[in-house]
Amino acid sequence: MPAVRRFPGGGWVALSGAFIPLAIALAAWWVPDDADQGYSQRIFYFHVPIALTTYAAFSYGAVCAAAYLKTRDPRWDLRSYVGVHVGAIFGTLVLVTGSIWAKVSWGVWWDWSDRQLNVFLVLFLYYCAYFMLRFSVDEGEQRMTYSAVYTLLGVGLIPLSILAVRIAQSLVHPTVFTTSGAAMTHDMLLTFLVAFAGMLCLAAGMIAMELRGKRAALRVRELRRRLEGTDL
Amino acid sequence: MSPTIELAACSKRFGERVALRRVSFTVPAGTAVALTGPNGSGKSTVLRVVAGLVRPTAGAALVDGTPAADLERTARGTIGYLGHRALAYRGMTAAENLRLMARLHRRPADAVAGALAEVGLGDRGDDRIDGFSRGMLQRLSLARILVTGPALLLLDEPATGLDSEGAALLDAVLGRLRGQVTLLAATHDDAFAARHADAVIRLDRGEVA
Amino acid sequence: MIRDALVLARKDLLLEVRRREVVLAMLQYVITTLVVIHFAIAGAGSSQKAAAGMLWAAILFTAVLSLNRCFAADQEEGALDALLLAPIDRAAIWLGKVLAQITFLLIMEALALPAFWLFFFGEKGPHPLPVIGAVLLANIGLAAIGVLVAGLAQATRARDVLLPVLFLPLSIPLVIAAVTATLESFPGGSGAQESLQFLAVFNIVFVSLAWGTYEHLSGE
Repeated sequence: MPAVRRFPGGGWVALSGAFIPLAIALAAWWVPDDADQGYSQRIFYFHVPIALTTYAAFSYGAVCAAAYLKTRDPRWDLRSYVGVHVGAIFGTLVLVTGSIWAKVSWGVWWDWSDRQLNVFLVLFLYYCAYFMLRFSVDEGEQRMTYSAVYTLLGVGLIPLSILAVRIAQSLVHPTVFTTSGAAMTHDMLLTFLVAFAGMLCLAAGMIAMELRGKRAALRVRELRRRLEGTDL
Repeated sequence: MSPTIELAACSKRFGERVALRRVSFTVPAGTAVALTGPNGSGKSTVLRVVAGLVRPTAGAALVDGTPAADLERTARGTIGYLGHRALAYRGMTAAENLRLMARLHRRPADAVAGALAEVGLGDRGDDRIDGFSRGMLQRLSLARILVTGPALLLLDEPATGLDSEGAALLDAVLGRLRGQVTLLAATHDDAFAARHADAVIRLDRGEVA
Repeated sequence: MIRDALVLARKDLLLEVRRREVVLAMLQYVITTLVVIHFAIAGAGSSQKAAAGMLWAAILFTAVLSLNRCFAADQEEGALDALLLAPIDRAAIWLGKVLAQITFLLIMEALALPAFWLFFFGEKGPHPLPVIGAVLLANIGLAAIGVLVAGLAQATRARDVLLPVLFLPLSIPLVIAAVTATLESFPGGSGAQESLQFLAVFNIVFVSLAWGTYEHLSGE
């Protein structure tokens, strides 16, 4: 049995533990106010990185799903599932921080005319449905295959989300990153990148920890089955 | 032409239920093996695994060395599977069902009439199958297999629902094909096994007994 | 492969002509849904723009109705197994059903669109051509993802419930674009071109994805 690290994902979480407080400090005190929105704009430094991290986690889930379909190795299925799960958690955070930002900036908790927000909601709903699908199939080859296929279908939603943002000329939801580069000053960009790095590290750490937990549970179940004589 | 079947430590689990545990046996090309055992012993699962409709959880089910679920198209088409259900469309007539199968299996349409005659449904070809009895559906299933010109026969309790005439027709068909196809049949009927099989494998609770 | 798909599509259409389970229900359902939605949002005023949304909501829910029955005939006597055992490209099963679903949708829309124009749009409605274009494009996308999701759902325990849950999120971008196309086709709108292009892109993406992945949905 390979040596088990005491705290898997610990490296990632430690890194995020360095980046995130730094990002908070930078966002709260160091970076200058945004010209248009004032102090409340600062939640942007977390909201957008969390949103991008959500996309990253779902993408990781999709890549692992493709790997599963190619190799039929159950380990890829587990990674894919955990990726989507962590993505769903971050997705919830996006909606929460987004609502806070919306309330503070625009005075409403939700804005239906905002296409970027709606499309993210669609993606989020889609991946929540993933869990419904996964748990209405008995464990085994079929469940892993269906989960992978569903995850890959969702990949189509990600670029279409971005496309929808381009088409929508919504003035309400600021589009900060355009094809001509970031519409931010250098110190804003730095703060943003620190926060983004922190969020990615956090997501990676969560994925590692959840994988460890799931694998341990599978090992326990294998042992239980061996004891009961229902193993294969 | 007829394939060799090999199960190598083949296991299948459905949720918490173990249907097959480390089942291993071989059916040499052109021979016939009967699978016997009580209800729930895994006979149907073995047939579905060999047909490639179900993937094993562990181990392998090989048809001429290739995993059954990964068979390439043409090889897949040589499998004749007779299960508990008719594998046909209720809203269509017997002949229409068979013509569809012939079409998909790239077989000539005139094979349909011959298949219907061989199972004793020659005069029922233009009747919709919603009106068919259990025994007639069973005969239709057999006709479906004949139309596709199989090299491998996987039969799940083929005599179920057949009256004496149907059973005789089934015996005739299997007798005609003996040696030309590989046969794996699940059955409760020892006499049937004795008539048509070169060997018998008994399953009990998912394992070879 | 295309020929096999056509054979299978013809089979589905034949079964529908014989048993008349789906299309009549769809016709009835789309009109009733339109009326229900109209009454449901009556308080918000019956603007033309609301009507555009109602049209697409009704089409979407009627599509769900049809998709729920999509694999029913193949499951009754386990005929789907026979299709899986046939020496055909399994994507032909998907494509055949997509063609059949598009046909059912077109029949439903042939009734729904004129009725809709009559009841809600009248003279001041949008230019019909882009709307018809949106309908034709949307049919492809809805059928492509719908049949794939139906294939997923039909093998699970909760099949009837699962189909709408899985299908609707995927269809939302399509509906957004279709409604935008309809709205922008009103006199004074900026034209439906961009939305129609989006629909085309959506179709290309999802038809490719569905086509490529259906193969995998064939085992337990």
